[in-house]
Amino acid sequence: MLEASPDEIYDIELEHSLLEANGKLAVENRALLDKNGITAIDFMGAIGSGKTTLITKLVGKLKERMGVAVFNGDATTSNDADAISAQNVPVVQIATINGCHLDANLVGKGLRKIELENLKMIFIENIGNLICPAEFPLGSKARVVVVSVTEGPWMVRKHPHMFLGAQLVVINKIDLAEVMEVSVEQLIDDVHTLKPDLKVIPTSCKKGTGLDEVVDFLVAV
Amino acid sequence: MHEFSIASGLVEKLLEFAENNPDKRIIEVRVAIGEFTQIEEEQLCFCYDSIITEMPIAGSRLTIEPVLAKVQCPHCHYSGPPKYWDGALAGTPVPTLECPQCGKAAAASEGEECAIRSVRYTQPNEMAELIR
Repeated sequence: MLEASPDEIYDIELEHSLLEANGKLAVENRALLDKNGITAIDFMGAIGSGKTTLITKLVGKLKERMGVAVFNGDATTSNDADAISAQNVPVVQIATINGCHLDANLVGKGLRKIELENLKMIFIENIGNLICPAEFPLGSKARVVVVSVTEGPWMVRKHPHMFLGAQLVVINKIDLAEVMEVSVEQLIDDVHTLKPDLKVIPTSCKKGTGLDEVVDFLVAV
Repeated sequence: MHEFSIASGLVEKLLEFAENNPDKRIIEVRVAIGEFTQIEEEQLCFCYDSIITEMPIAGSRLTIEPVLAKVQCPHCHYSGPPKYWDGALAGTPVPTLECPQCGKAAAASEGEECAIRSVRYTQPNEMAELIR
């Protein structure tokens, strides 16, 4: 450890936000999206929560009404992107390799890669991680956090920060709640303990429950 | 873990400072971390120490200045500490956006920052060199 005598020490103020670099790029992304009349939605959730299936179903419901594209952040594979491609909408895969979150820089690159003209909605599927993405806004208009009952009853309590930054929470796979012995009401309660006005929509992508409500919410964002 | 990317950003900024100020030796950097960010202090320091080992700023210390969370309620105009939740499985009570006064949704007004506040340095001179 370096030491120095008191008369040799100087302090200099250096006010500099460490979140600023990403924050600036997020603002740029948002400006580009707003200029083109596009709403971007950031989907977050742990691996296996059902983000990809949800996005695929939402795309299926929306694509006849409006131009939709999907950005898919995946650490190593194109599995998810392939599943969404089957919907015949533009898909940009963002390979984050060892990154634990998407950042505004990568999303910005994606925005410059596609034809923005006829798009109204872009769904960004973030990495399957409920901790890191919270600090890194992408320029989206809303953040959706997807949790599923198969992850157990404590997902909200274990990741409070993620939920504080969300505009919609989707509780997925509710058709399995009984067999999992997980209370959807308790999860909703936990969400509202953190943020009283946060919209929560229970869904079952398999059965189609709640999906229309999600579509209505996103279209109104 | 994102503490690593934050530590990397911090080191990058310090190296920039060091390059622009070759006559100064950084001995400490003070970083404000807001309670709402839930950035883990110990992990951040660990990442910082790991990254700087072979760098011009090796030996410098990261000091964290926690900034307490504060909320403002658009419904009842309360302004002050947030309601904390003991039940979250986060080690310590977690700040929420529930207004402690009226129970409706409040907004964070303080405690969201993650920023370098200041840098402490010495200007090594001949005497210091001799002593070392």
